[in-house]
Amino acid sequence: MTADNIILVKAEDLYNEASRLRYDEAQPMDYLRDIVGMDWGEEGLGALYYMECTATGERRVLKAVAADRENAFLPSVCSLWKTAVIKEREVFDFFGIRFTGNPDMRRLFLREDWKGYPLRKDYDMDSNPLNMENEVNADVTEEYTLRPDGTIEGRENVVFGSEDFVVNIGPQHPSTHGVLRMRTSIDGENIKRIDPILGYIHRGIEKMNESLTYPQTLTLTDRLDYLSAHQNRHALCMCIEQAAGIEISERAQYIRTIMDELQRIDSHLLFYSCLVMDMGGLTPFFYGFREREMILDIMEETTGGRLIQNYNVIGGVQADIHPDFRRKVKEFIAHLRKVIKDYHDIFTGNVIARQRLIGVGVLSREDAISLGATGGTGRASGWSNDVRKHHPYAMYGKVDFREITRTEGDSFARYMVRMDEIMESCHIIEQLIDNIPEGEVRVKTKAIIKLPEGNFSTSVESSRGEFGVMLESHGDKYPYRLHYRSTGLPLVDTMDTVCRGQKIADLIAIGGTLDFVIPDIDR
Amino acid sequence: MFDYYNLEPLLMWIHRTMCGIMPEWLAFTIEGIAVGIFIMVMYAVLAIILIYMERKVCAAFQCRIGPDRVGGRGGLLQVPADVIKILTKEIIFLKNSDKFLYALAPFLVIMASILTFSCLPWNKGGEILHMNIGIFFVLAASSIGVLGILLAGWSSNSKYTLIGAVRSGAMIISYELSIGISVLTMVILCGTMDIQEIVAYQENGWNIFKGHLPAVMAFIIYLIAGNAEANRAPFDLAEAEQELTAGYHTEYSGMHFGFFYLAEYLNLFITAGIAVTLFLGGWMPLHIAGLEGFNAVMDYIPGVIWFVGKTFFVVFLLMWIRWTFPRLRIDQVLILEWKYLMPLSLLVLIIMTVMKVFGLVF
Amino acid sequence: MSTFKEYINGYASGVKSLLVGMRTSMKVFMQKKVTERYPENRHTTLHIPERHRAMLVMPKDENGNNKCIACGLCQMACPNGTINIVSETRETEDGKKKKFLVKYEYDLGACMFCQLCVNACPHGAIEFSNHFENAVFEREKLVMNLNE
Repeated sequence: MTADNIILVKAEDLYNEASRLRYDEAQPMDYLRDIVGMDWGEEGLGALYYMECTATGERRVLKAVAADRENAFLPSVCSLWKTAVIKEREVFDFFGIRFTGNPDMRRLFLREDWKGYPLRKDYDMDSNPLNMENEVNADVTEEYTLRPDGTIEGRENVVFGSEDFVVNIGPQHPSTHGVLRMRTSIDGENIKRIDPILGYIHRGIEKMNESLTYPQTLTLTDRLDYLSAHQNRHALCMCIEQAAGIEISERAQYIRTIMDELQRIDSHLLFYSCLVMDMGGLTPFFYGFREREMILDIMEETTGGRLIQNYNVIGGVQADIHPDFRRKVKEFIAHLRKVIKDYHDIFTGNVIARQRLIGVGVLSREDAISLGATGGTGRASGWSNDVRKHHPYAMYGKVDFREITRTEGDSFARYMVRMDEIMESCHIIEQLIDNIPEGEVRVKTKAIIKLPEGNFSTSVESSRGEFGVMLESHGDKYPYRLHYRSTGLPLVDTMDTVCRGQKIADLIAIGGTLDFVIPDIDR
Repeated sequence: MFDYYNLEPLLMWIHRTMCGIMPEWLAFTIEGIAVGIFIMVMYAVLAIILIYMERKVCAAFQCRIGPDRVGGRGGLLQVPADVIKILTKEIIFLKNSDKFLYALAPFLVIMASILTFSCLPWNKGGEILHMNIGIFFVLAASSIGVLGILLAGWSSNSKYTLIGAVRSGAMIISYELSIGISVLTMVILCGTMDIQEIVAYQENGWNIFKGHLPAVMAFIIYLIAGNAEANRAPFDLAEAEQELTAGYHTEYSGMHFGFFYLAEYLNLFITAGIAVTLFLGGWMPLHIAGLEGFNAVMDYIPGVIWFVGKTFFVVFLLMWIRWTFPRLRIDQVLILEWKYLMPLSLLVLIIMTVMKVFGLVF
Repeated sequence: MSTFKEYINGYASGVKSLLVGMRTSMKVFMQKKVTERYPENRHTTLHIPERHRAMLVMPKDENGNNKCIACGLCQMACPNGTINIVSETRETEDGKKKKFLVKYEYDLGACMFCQLCVNACPHGAIEFSNHFENAVFEREKLVMNLNE
């Protein structure tokens, strides 16, 4: 693969150029994949805008540089893509670039009293000793606007007023699926607004990556979205292999694909369990876990891990499949096809479940694209966004499978998309499992892997959306910057749009169907 | 024939003997205390049995084994161990709570539960509180519980508990209508409000057979509404741990929490017990017309065993429901009551009245 | 009229779905339970796959010698600074200078089980073992010396 083709625009032209691409006649770039903040040292701070046209799958990358490091400003593109609000907050949080026109310029992951911007290259690592003070959340956000004369004007927007009844859902709460905190203002049982507060388990993986060699960066991918461990690692391996020009064997490609799909079934079974439990049905929760346990046993036999898989490596996979692997996978799929009926009988058909899910939390297709809600969530709203179909990688171009889409966009559609994807994954595995070609599973690579200069990116369809790897190399054995497109961040961002006007109980059900995993958001 | 097991002569004999050796007021006092202690002990023992049963039953529904470590393979001592643990825990008073109401609430809940518990007809002559409007008293006493829940939620001064309490209030007050109407249906069938007489009326056939169609429907309505009254899934939105962490008792600890927990399980038993009294013949044995030998054998089983056995059967039914369904949302709970159960129970009430008037019941 | 019909149908299908659910849960109620009784099953049904990574070990042959040449590649490969090798240069019998392993410190508490050290080792001197019951009461006990 060649490096990404990057279009450099001047900071002041950024908005116009982005707007032109967004509303292009032939190829409207209606889906903003990610905004990657960058510190290019002397050149200045800046950001890369990864965008895609949902109709054709064409991708573009814009680069904008704010030369003044102390007062870095870039125009916000949040009026073109809704997802930009939260993505720009992330860039601001880590690089200190202020986006003029973004209504919400608070920090996203770090504490509000954090000093400095940690992903800048000149950040002093000792500047923020462990702070045991309580963090007080401000109820106002800052917004910067550009005056015609070029000066910057700041003003404050109110998030929650004094008349709002604000309930903290999280960070320790049974159904936030991790340490996520949602400040929720409610009117009786109805939700007025949700303000997600993130970063409770942020580990600075992107910063850590900058001082790790390429093989070492792999170890942290399993710790992002642990239910997409294989896919995440697959993405990074692919990115490094393509950049370094390493050709991997077909056998390894087959194994990677099978593992990705097993992981997807694993994740969707857990999704089922957690959704049902969030809605108060504790019994079906155990059904999902019972079957998931079988997958974990199969995976552990081959990879040696249950949660942290550690399987894909640069040049292939860590070890060949276990002799029993094929038989066990086939047995498992046969078993799953039998028991999945129980799942549907006890939950899908249940009148209570249907009442709770159908027509609740509707996300329109336009909103799904604009908010970048990929994966099953987007597909439930009718947005065909499966990376496996649109940008095939590994064996996905050669197997036959259906991309599950629905048009309702409600919780039930999101649920059904994932349940159907389980069967589709079984179908993919069945096509591959008997045809794994002979060959080596791992090609020899150089002891020290160095990537050529340039920007490289890959994306895979992880269990809950498009997981992207954006890598900038300056020719060293360490990445200059390695950014992951979080699948969960846009989904959490979606909560506010989807939940408004619904009940508290729906908030939990919607959160369950959106299916986010916190370590993936807090990288 | 099963007068053999009638407890009344025995109890009267005890009373007379005591009156013979002491003044009557003293005898009454001692008897009152003894009965009070008896109720408390029964209450605690039943709670332990029910909690153990719930753990084992729910484990089986979830393809698990359940408690199996403390007290041998069956895990029999698990619940007593938990009781001891909860007794030794500190009772925490929150800084900004209303201390008096906060402390009062669990007692209100448990008082309502014990009052209703005392009305259950255990055996012939084995009813602790006997009055000729017994079933009415049960309905009245059980409503005190909601007051405790409301107070608990409000006085904790926490947002979660408040939402839980308000939900619970809205729900219980609604479902009391259905319970009341389905109880009324059976009162019409039996022609009495006296619990012992309701049971006696079922001597030659349980109400659910005697009243056939309307009685079966009333039974189902009662079970659903009773489940809601007992705050159990799928109607446990007052607690709804996935939404409100623990609902109205989020802020309670130690034995204060224990009281809520106890009352919850005993309310389950009471709901089942009243259902058994009204529909399944109370302590009356199962008789099948025409099989004299079978009937005679059934008569040899004491009434108390019949009563407890039937009650545990209904408890199992309620557990089965609980561990199968997801939770309803608050508006759906109210829709279910006002759009489905209420009209249905009124209809059943009318059908029952008409049938009773025209002698269409057995 | 049609709304009334819908109302009645809603009743019927709702009740039916509930009964189907109850049938399913009763079916599972009767099935065999899947609980694993750990630790009682330690020597019976517990199965730990060979490739499971529980802790790093340095296998020794029958004379108590290991294959480590103290090259330090594993230490360099470790992303977490888990391994610390202390070596000294001694003169062998034929007069060559060679590095010898003195101490192979491994901090189990910091290990991420990423297997990079095992991959890096040119002589297969280290590997992951299946011994997974590693809980101890003191932090110091997690720092092990593998070549002892």
